[in-house]
Parts: sequence; C-alpha cells; structure tokens
Amino acid sequence: MIANTKEVKDKGFDIKRSAEEIRNLSFKDHVCIGCGICESTCPVEAIKVGNIGPIVRNEMDIPKLEIDEEKCVLCGMCSGICPVNALDFTIDNKSISDIDTYPKYIASAEIDDETCIHCQRCEVACPREAITIPRSLPERSKLVTGEIEVNEDTCIHCGICDEMCPTDAIDVNRIPGEESILINKDKCVYCLICKKSCPVNAIKAACRSCSYGEYDIDMSDAVTTGSSFIDDETCVKCGWCEEICPVDAAKVKKQFKGTLNIDQDKCTTCGTCIDVCPCDVLSFPESAGPATRVPNVGKEEQYCIHCGACERACPTDAIDVKITDVDYTPTKSKSWVDKFEALKNR
Amino acid sequence: MPKHIASGLKYLAAIELKKKGFNQQLIADELEIDRSTVSHYLNGRNLSWNSIDVAKTVTSMCPKDFLIMTQSLFKDTDKTRKIVSICKNNEFEAEVADSCIACGLCVDLCLMKAVSLNSLKAQIDSICCCGCLLCKEGCPTNSIKILEVKNDREYERG
Repeated sequence: MIANTKEVKDKGFDIKRSAEEIRNLSFKDHVCIGCGICESTCPVEAIKVGNIGPIVRNEMDIPKLEIDEEKCVLCGMCSGICPVNALDFTIDNKSISDIDTYPKYIASAEIDDETCIHCQRCEVACPREAITIPRSLPERSKLVTGEIEVNEDTCIHCGICDEMCPTDAIDVNRIPGEESILINKDKCVYCLICKKSCPVNAIKAACRSCSYGEYDIDMSDAVTTGSSFIDDETCVKCGWCEEICPVDAAKVKKQFKGTLNIDQDKCTTCGTCIDVCPCDVLSFPESAGPATRVPNVGKEEQYCIHCGACERACPTDAIDVKITDVDYTPTKSKSWVDKFEALKNR
Repeated sequence: MPKHIASGLKYLAAIELKKKGFNQQLIADELEIDRSTVSHYLNGRNLSWNSIDVAKTVTSMCPKDFLIMTQSLFKDTDKTRKIVSICKNNEFEAEVADSCIACGLCVDLCLMKAVSLNSLKAQIDSICCCGCLLCKEGCPTNSIKILEVKNDREYERG
C-alpha cells in the first residue's frame, strides 16, 4: 500500500511518498513565522500550528508546526501558499517553485549592486538578519598625504608619541641599550599630535592634505567597494531594507496588500505580538513626556507583510490583520486559485 | 491452485486476443508465454476446465475484485494490468471535479496507470481505466467520478 514516511531532523522534518514519482515536503522550523496560513489552507487538515507566542518568547524546544503524515496527501498546497517558504515541496527532487504549472507568489527583494554604497544600513535593520553586505574599505594611507621624519639623534625614546598616536603608527622600544623608534607610514594620518607632544622636538612632520590634496590624492582610491547578498530562505520581503536605504538601491515587492488594526482598548500590553512579528512592525511606543498618552502598541505598517502571525498569537483578540490583495502567478487549477483567494477571507 | 487460476486467466486472455485477430506468436509475445503453450490453450489442452471456470468467475467479479484478485494471483503489476485490460468486460468514463488539488494519490493508487496529472488536475484515461474505483476511494477531496458507460458481462443481471 502507499504510505508516507516521515523523517524528523532537529525541529524540521521531511514527509515523503515514493511511488510513480517521489513527493517530498520539507519543513524548516527556523524559517517558519507561525502565521498559520498553511493550517487553514491544508485540504485534509493535517497541519497543526502551535502556540507561537509561548514558543517564540520562551525559545521552546518544540517545532512551530506539526504535520500528521498519516493524513497528509502531499498535494503541496501548504508549500505553495507559505508566504516565507518554510515548507518546500518537491516532486522528483524538483521544487514546485520551479514548476510552471504550480502558482507562486510574486514577491522579491533585491539590492542593486551598481547603486549600493555598502553602508550596511539594511544589514543592520533587517529583522531576519537575511542581508549581508561584505565590503572592503579604502586604504587609509591613500587618503592622506604628508611627510614625517624622526631625528634619531634628538629622540630620547620617551614613548610619549607612541602612547598618543591615535592610529598606532608609532612603535618605540624603551629598553635601555635597545632603544628605537619606528613610524609606520601606512598607518600615519599626519595629524601631527606626535610632533606637538614630543618634549624634545625630535619629530618633523607636515600634512599636505589641505594644500596639495587635490594633486596628491586620487579620489577613486576613496571608494568603498563590496557586494550584497540577500538570503532568500530567511528574507520575508518586509521592506525594511528598501525604507532605510539612503540611495534607493533596495527594492522590495510584497505578495500581499492589506491592513493591520490594533484595538488599543483590548490590548493588555503583554507584548506577545511584538515578539512574534517577523518584521519588527510592532513596538511599545515611548512616552512623549509627562501627562501624555501613547497607544499601548505602536505599529509601522509600511514593514507589515500582513501574514497575521500577531493576530493569531494575540491572547485578547486585539489585532485584526486583513489581506486585501494577493499577487501570484496564474494557474489553471481552480482549487489552487480558490486557496490563494481565500487568504482574503481569513 | 493460484497458479492454475492464473493460467486460466491467461487462457481467457489468449482467447480474447485470438478474437481480436492476434496470431499465436503475437499472443505469446503479448502474454509473455511460450508459443507452444498458446497453441495448447487455443486447442483446449493442458489446462483443467475447472481452473478456467474459476478464472471466468474472477473476470466477472466487480472490477475492483477482478483487479485485486488478479494482482494477488500474479503478484506482478505489469502482468495484472495486461490481463485486466484484455479481459475486462466494461468501459468507463471518468469525471474529475475542479476540487482536485493535484495530490497525485490517484496516480499512485491506479494499478492500470490510467491516471496522470495535467495542469494540477488528475486526468483519467478511459481506455486504460478498469473501473476499480481505487482512485475514487483514495481521493482526499472526493473529486473523482467513474461512470460505467458499457457493460459486456456474460452473466445475467438480476
């Protein structure tokens, strides 16, 4: 008879059916945001999403969802409809996201390497730590110009310049009999602090940056170079990178449009939603001063992906998330279309 | 005993193929048996008539029982498929509703290889379909209807 096999890996698992074709459903717990969309989509009610609030807040050692492999028919709908690709469904080792007949979300996050100035603002802001901007800085010595020299006969090897130098460019050996002073010109920025602090005027130095900088320094050496990398597995297309990028190099296309409403009267400020939100949309607002009132929970809706994880986790039903528009590729299957459209009536 | 019934089924298949105009060599190739055995079959030798009676009973059972019984006699899906497709008495047409989710269970369940997925929907080849309803019974969304459109069974209907 045809039966599914289940292989548990850490908190994730694989469910597999090998017959005419090999169908495999992989769950990646570290990617799952606990929105519950798979649970409400599954046509055979095989999926049970856990209580995400406690799981996330207590860093509990249990998976965010369970799939009953006896009930699962390996149709792949949960994979197709998961907004963050925590469930990967393959047929004969080919992901359905690469098979044209299966519908998929139209969503993307990209950083244009031509425009990017490698400031790493997006890397720092990304709530999912999905962005890496490796960069190489310009060589400091190429951005300064000047001259520096020590008169070894005058130098008393007191080490004051060594201690004062802000760039660690000077190395003084003070051991009697072994005295020496070395200046590393690759590190020196000609700030002249050594010259000014030397008690015996042994250092001659001049900075040319102001007067001859235009001739001495090639500004193309001042450019920071680098690249950008977005981890497609963890990226949830929340839009933080796009909002924060100072040069508009990041572009995000979301799969859902929708609304996020918080009933401040029902909210008990437990903070579960803040911990659960994968996009850092929610926060406790800071008071503007004495005798002012702020909402219990604040939102920055421009980062919201309308996944509904907060609504699901809220213990007092204070949050209402609605999806008003779903962007996905066309399919001939009515049942699949129905499932995507049903997201608007969650 | 099961072997004899299996031979009985092969005999019936040989007769059917003969009716369709297959010569002895073609029948032998089709059923993967010796030509001499085919010759014996067609001349009414080398087989107990009782086995043939039982084999006839098997072919006239309901399609699912015919299929499963044949499968358990031959223990070989390819041979089962051949015998059933040659000896089946009825024709079927399938309807798949839009509620089909393309889980492919029917594809895996069908011993006759009659089902395939096309544009995320099951497609059932009525020429291959033996009417066993295994696909319909296994369908998680109840999307399959199998309709009997022709019945040539020899037994009298009650």
